[in-house]
Formats: sequence, structure tokens, C-alpha cells
Amino acid sequence: MEPPESARLALEAAEEIILRWDSTASEEARDKMIFEGDRQEVDRYLHAVDHIQRSISEVSIGDDQGKVNSAIQIAMARLEDEFRNILLHHTTPIETDSLIDPSSSTHSGTTSAPGGSVSGSEFDDDGDDDKDDEVDELLKRGDSSNSVSYRSTSSIREIDLIPFDEVTDLRSIAERMIAAGYLRECIQVYGSVRKSAVDSSFRRLGIEKLSIGDIQRLEWDQLEAKIRRWIRAAKVCIRIVFASEKKLCEQIFEGIGTAIDDACFMETVKGPAIQLFNFAEAISISRRSPEKLFKILDLHDALMDLIPDIDVVFESKSSESIRIQAAEILSRLAEAARGILSEFENAVLREPSKVPVPGGTIHPLTRYVMNYISLISDYKQTLNELIVSKPSTGSRYSGDPTTPDMEFTELEGKTPLALHLIWIIVILQFNLDGKAKHYKDASLVHLFMMNNVHYIVQKVKGSPELREMIGDDYLRKLTGKFRQAATNYQRATWVGVLYCLRDEGLHVSGSFSSGVSKTALRERFKTFNAMFDEVHRIQATWLIPDSQLREELRISISEKLIPAYRSFLGRFRTHIESGKHPENYIKYSVEDLETSVLDFFEGFPVPQHHLRRRSQ
Amino acid sequence: MRATDNQGSFLNRISIRRNQVVSMDGNHEQELEDIELFQKHVSDRFSDLLSPSDDTSADALLSISWLRKLLDVFLCCEAEFKAIMIMGRDASLISKPPLDRLFHELLDRNVKTLDVCNAVHHGVDAVRHFQKLAEIVVSALEQRPIGEGQVRRAKRALNSLITAMALEDKDGTGNKSTERAWSFGRRGGSGAVNKDRNPGQFRAISWNMAKGWSASKQIQAMSSNLVAPRGGETLALPVYISSTVMVFVMWALVAAIPCQERSGLASHYSVPRQLSWAQPMVGLQEKIAEEWKKKEKKGCSGLLEEIQKMEKLVQSLSEFAESFQFPAEPERLEEVANQVAELAETCKRMEEGLFPLQQQLREVFHRVVRSRAEILEALEQGGKSSTPIM
Repeated sequence: MEPPESARLALEAAEEIILRWDSTASEEARDKMIFEGDRQEVDRYLHAVDHIQRSISEVSIGDDQGKVNSAIQIAMARLEDEFRNILLHHTTPIETDSLIDPSSSTHSGTTSAPGGSVSGSEFDDDGDDDKDDEVDELLKRGDSSNSVSYRSTSSIREIDLIPFDEVTDLRSIAERMIAAGYLRECIQVYGSVRKSAVDSSFRRLGIEKLSIGDIQRLEWDQLEAKIRRWIRAAKVCIRIVFASEKKLCEQIFEGIGTAIDDACFMETVKGPAIQLFNFAEAISISRRSPEKLFKILDLHDALMDLIPDIDVVFESKSSESIRIQAAEILSRLAEAARGILSEFENAVLREPSKVPVPGGTIHPLTRYVMNYISLISDYKQTLNELIVSKPSTGSRYSGDPTTPDMEFTELEGKTPLALHLIWIIVILQFNLDGKAKHYKDASLVHLFMMNNVHYIVQKVKGSPELREMIGDDYLRKLTGKFRQAATNYQRATWVGVLYCLRDEGLHVSGSFSSGVSKTALRERFKTFNAMFDEVHRIQATWLIPDSQLREELRISISEKLIPAYRSFLGRFRTHIESGKHPENYIKYSVEDLETSVLDFFEGFPVPQHHLRRRSQ
Repeated sequence: MRATDNQGSFLNRISIRRNQVVSMDGNHEQELEDIELFQKHVSDRFSDLLSPSDDTSADALLSISWLRKLLDVFLCCEAEFKAIMIMGRDASLISKPPLDRLFHELLDRNVKTLDVCNAVHHGVDAVRHFQKLAEIVVSALEQRPIGEGQVRRAKRALNSLITAMALEDKDGTGNKSTERAWSFGRRGGSGAVNKDRNPGQFRAISWNMAKGWSASKQIQAMSSNLVAPRGGETLALPVYISSTVMVFVMWALVAAIPCQERSGLASHYSVPRQLSWAQPMVGLQEKIAEEWKKKEKKGCSGLLEEIQKMEKLVQSLSEFAESFQFPAEPERLEEVANQVAELAETCKRMEEGLFPLQQQLREVFHRVVRSRAEILEALEQGGKSSTPIM
């Protein structure tokens, strides 16, 4: 039990220390910071504060209590400034550059969906394949999710924002402030300094403040770049920036009072978190169009990946609204993806262009759609989860002439996504059928369909995921379809030509000559020449981009044409040659025909009247 | 995309009263009736807001609870508007003139509303910041006896609070002031100590909307193409009514809650006077505008009743703190005690009401998003505004 006198002296000594450091009272007190100086002074000061605190209950009412209260206020004000000062020493934004894999930023801002790549130059088959690969590469979701930038996998990584010694100092200040009933001041100072630090980190990460209006007005390729950047930044924000702030709060405030670390954490990150999510939210509610699908899926996947971490970092009750917002955004992104797919299907069905593609080659729509669904198959993991219902139109024999029919019962066991992809191919063909009708030449109608359906088959075969989803049954159907188209083409073009080389009608019975009507024969030859010339001239401008298919069709033509002509020539040439001007009637040798067939489907730009004939 | 024949499926999906369509004429009658009812409801609801039947001061104009009622009214009106829109009406008409233009304008207004919701949501956080600072003042001055220590503590908090409120008011220049009062680390890039620190200087909440975004300009843009329809297309009137309500509600929110860039808020907006159903709105708008003009000169962070009260109390308590000499006169102390109690009460109302207010704002946000999605779908189904596939 201390005698009152020494107690009073001790109290006075403590008060004196406090008053010495009253920044409102002296220049010196303002210029120096206790915690930057001599450690012993720090200890002395803290002990003085503690002493004053303890003495509150002991001192009787009156002037003394007033003095003590005043001293406490002065001490608290001082401690608050010290607290702020220590915090201010550690506000450099997190060095996030080293955390982001530089290689993941080599994906330039080129469009990721095939939408922008369709142009007149798409008629070259080889170039198309290259482009497809390029697009595929760009779209592999290796943006950041597969990147090896984080030393750990994709989990939370806290950084020590403030060195341990200073954390200890902060903690000792916080304890005293809170014990003295100055909790609110403490939270305010902490929150304001740390929030500014988080804001700086945000700026470093390139997180922009964009209004929803701004985002609606931006061009999609600009938005794509921003989404990419956002995905990278969001991972750093949640797993590193926010997680580290949370850790710091715990380091300083845990165990002092109830949930003070939560309060400080929310004070620090609530605004920035909302700002971060507002961008994703704006994207999730933007107008839907097909080219947006894949970036939306990227965003969806990135967010889904982050949700467990969000739930951990924002686990307290007071941060519930943030968790809720993240979940809402995720669900909207899923809805957007579904909606875009539906719109895409509609767009494919209704795509209205009527201008026939020259030469009957592959229609840009075909390329676009097949590229698109190839990409879809790349995203099948996510889309299988998101797409849960079958395609809605055409599932019955509706009798609606503007929509194809598709019987789903024969496609049992297929995922909804696979059904959608098959449906898309169905409606693509349906649309192409309509476009084919605009060709005046019936043969070209068939060639066009053959080319396009063949392309579809090739694309499906070229992608294992796509092939697996479409299934070999349907693939067989498609193959049958383009073979049928080839057959139809041959009939349409060659029946007439070959008709010229038939035997019937040439023989005259009972005459002095060899029994062949020379007039009829000459007519035949003339007709054959004219027809073949015409067909040759025109169909040299047609194009079958696929070299193998081109060859096959030529061979098929030759197989029918050449033997027939050879035989015809063999049987009847003497009759012509024995008459006048045989050259007017026998224009082609067999070799000439063989050579000419090589011109077919080469896609020559204009019909040429004098095509090379090697044998001449 | 050409106009499609998809009307059937669209109507199947969204029309809830399709089965009740008897004849075109009968349907039309019903429509007009519903629109009249809509007008009446709007008028009634706003009338209630203008002069509430029960005289609770908690629902004073532009108080937190009044704002919550306002948002409720908005949600009700929006729901009624929706019901009218899908009333067996041929939805493909939305995508044709003259309605298509109206709906495009509505879409644009929706987007602006979403941004205003976000800005106000953020502004409520600013108000919560005031509340926290005010609570320090209360905490300090509730102690007995009031001595030097308590008053100094209160003074620090009062100064911060006054600065915070003033900074929220400095619309476009808010950022600069914030930075000046908060200069650290920017020069030199590392945490340089700011020797020039003001004791008790708390940072004001920095604006988080895009640079150059202006609440008053948004409101102005929303209302500029709002023109009362002159007969013709029946649906134009509900669109107009709903939009008028929406713009008014947003305007009132922006007036009440600190928001980025509000200069000229009251000068460029008014509810047309000649509309019978809008009279209560006109009354409210005039009252609020008058207050705004008064306060704009002196500077105010927001017309929220609780903020206004807080500003007055803070001013008075600040004077007390400045001139305080221990011991103070008993009458003065009693006066202060009353003011502190009032401040505590105001803080309590903020504590209880601000979070629910933010939740309601989110609800409004969601509704408007949904509305927008539905309109977009209707427009696209109609075949007008489709994006080309290639």
C-alpha cells in the first residue's frame, strides 16, 4: 500500500511526461514523434499513460480528477497521432508487378471471338485454319488462371504490410486507446490511413472507376481488355491486398475488445471492395451479343474461382453484403452466358444475308458459327454447368416453316450443352439451305451445300471436344448429307452432258451408210461441246476450298465423263472424220477433257473463254 | 435481324393475362382503366409523402425513414408499371415506332438510375462516417463532469466532422481538398511523414464515381427528354408516368445524400406543373428545391434531415467547445446536455436506418436491372435492335 504522498508524486510524474508531449502546447512536441525516437522514452510514455489510466478510479472528485481526465485526453490525442504516424510509414502500395506473370499479358487486345475476323479474305482455306488456331490460342483461358505467376497455387497469400516491431507498437497504442474508451478514434484513424493505402494499390493495379453508363458506351474490344485486366487485378486484390489487410487488422486488434479487427477491416476495405465489384456487375448487366460470350465466361470462371477466397476474407457478419454482391454478380454472369447463347442461336437462325457467296464456297456464316462452337467446346467445363436446359425451339414438329425440326429423343444421353451445339448445326444448315436457294444455277445450290456441310464435318472432326459432344452418329448424318449434295450436283450438271454421249437415236436402221445418222451425230458432238464448254467455263469459277474434296469430285466426274467420251469418240469419230470439217465437231481429245476437268472448282475469278488446253 | 415471327413464343412466356383477352376493344378499355388507376395510385402515394397522415416527426421530409418510404413508393410504382406493360399487350409493338424510341430512352434512364443508386449508396457511407465522428462527440460530452479533457476531445472530433461535411459539399473540387488535407506519401512515393498534420484531421470519403461523373448532370439528362405524350400510343403514358416517378425519386435522393457533383441540382429540374396526378410530386419538388437553394449558398453536404440536424448541433457544440472555460455555467451545461442528447438521438436514427436504406437501394438497383433486361429482350424479340451476327 503506497503512502498517498508518493502516489501523488508518481501521478504528477506521469502527468508531466504526458504534458511534455502535448502537441498543442509546444513546438518541440509537435516536431518529434515519440515512437520514432528513443525506445526508453516510448516505454516511459506508455507507462505514464497506464499510470494515469489506473489512477482514474483512485483519484477523488474535484480538481484532481479534472486534471487526470485532461491528461488522459492529451495522451489519447498524442497516441492517436503516433498511431497515425506509424501507419503512414507503411502505406506504399503492394508491389504487385512482380506478382503478375508478365507472359500472361502478351495476349494483346485482339478480338477473342471470331466475330471480327470474318471478312472477304476468309475464302482461303489454309489461312482459315491458321486463324482458327490463333483464335483458339488467344481464347485458352490461360489468361491468368493457368499462369504460374503465384508461387502458391490460386490460394490466399497474405503479405506482412507492417513489420512486426511496429505492429507491436500499434497494438500497444490500440490497447490503451481502447481501454480509455477511445475506440472510435482508433478505428477512424486506422481506417482512413489504410483505406488510402488500398486506394493506391488499386491505382497501381489499374482498377478504374467507371460508371455503368461509361461501360455501356465502350466498344466491346476495349471492354475485353478491361475485363482481362480486371480479372488479373481482382485476384491480387482479394487474395493479396484484402487478405493482407485482414491479417494486419488481426495482428493489431485481435483480442482487444469484440470484433474490433472486423470493424477496422471493413472500414478499410468496404469502399474499395464495392468499387472492385461494381465493374464486374456492370459487365454482367450489359447488353448481350454473341461476341461477348467468351469473355463473360472468363469473368464468370475467374469470379467463381475467387468466391471461396471472398468467403474467407469477408467471413464476418458485417461484410455479408460484399459476399452477397459477389454471389449476385456470379449468378448474373451465368444468366448472361445463357442469354447470349440463346441469342446466338436466334441470330444464326435468322441471319438474313441473301447475297450468294461467289463460287459456291464456304459462307462466312458457316465459318463464324463453326469457330464459335469450337470455342464453346473449349469452354465446355463451365458451360456444361451453366447450360441446363435443352434448346427451346424446334423440339417438336411444329410445322413452323421458319424453324427447322429436331427430334431430341434420338439424342438421349447427351448433355444439354451438346444438344445446343447439335441444334446450332441444325439451324446453320437450315439457314444455309435458304441461302442456297438464291443461286440461279441448281448445280451451284448443291455444290454450295456440299462445301458448307463438308466444312462443318471437318471442323467437328478437327476438335476432339466438339466431336465428342456432337457424337459420331450425327457426324455420320452430316457426312451423308454432303455426299448426297455431291451426288445431287453431279446429277444436276452431268446428266445432261452425258446424255449427249448416249447411243440411242444415233443409229438409223436400214440405210446404205454404216447405220449412223451423220446429222444426228454432228448435232451430238456440237451439243456436247457447247454444253461442256459452258459447264467448263462456268464451273472453273466455282470453288471447292478443301483440296481433298475437290480432287474427289473431279475424279468422280472424270470416272463418268472420260470413259463415256472415250467410248463415244472411239465408236463414232471415223464417221465425223470422214466428213467435212471434222474439227468443228470433234473439239476435244480425251486428254483435253482430262485436262479441262482439272480446271473445275478452281475458283478462277472470271469465266474465261480460252482456258489452257495442254494438248493443243 | 428482321422482324421475326417469334411473337407467339414471347407472348407465351411473359403474358400473364393472355387468357383474359376477350377482344381487342375490351382489352383496350381495361388498359385505359388500369392506366387511370396507375395515375391515381401515384398521386395518392406521393400525397402521403407530402403530408403524412400520422404526425410522427420521424418521417420529416427527407429524413432517413422518409427516404425509405420514398423508395418503397418507387418500388410500388415500378411494379404497377410492369403489370400494365405485360397486360396482354402485343409485345412486339414495343419494338416499333413510336414506342421503340420511348423504350430506348427508358433504357438509358435505367442505366443512369443504376449509377445514381450506386453513387447514393456510396454517399450513405459518407453519412455513416459523419455518424461515427458525431458519436465521438457524444461519447466525449456525455461524460460528467464536462472538463477540459472531454471538451478538447469533442473539439477534435467536431473539427473533423465539420471538415468532413464541408468536403462532401465541395462537389467537383472535393478531391483536391481531400488530398490537401490528407497529403502523405504522394511526394516521394513512400510514406513520408506529414509534419503538417492537423490534429484530429480525418479524411473525408473520396468520391468513387468516375472522374467527371456528375449527379446533377445525370438527373438533367434523365429529365431532358421526358416529354408528356400527346395521345396516340396508349403505352406511352405509363412509360411517362413511371419515368417521371423514377427521375423524381433519384433527384430527391441526390439532394438528400452527399453525391458527386451536384451543382445546379435544383435549377435544372422540375416536375411539370400541369399534370394532375403529379401535383403532390410538384409540391415535394418545390419544397426540396427551395431548401436546396437556401443551403447551396452556405454549403451543405446533403438535405437529409438527420444531416441538417447534425450540422446545426455540431455548429452549436463547436461554439461551446471553442469558448469553453472550466467550470461552465449550469444553464449552458444543461443546454449542451440537451444538444448532446439530440445528437445521440440523431446518431441512433442513422445507426438504425442507414443500413436498411442501403439495402433498399440495392433492391431498387436489382429491380431496375431486371426491368432493363426485360425491355432489352422485348426489343430484341421484336427484331429492331438486334446486333448483327457478323
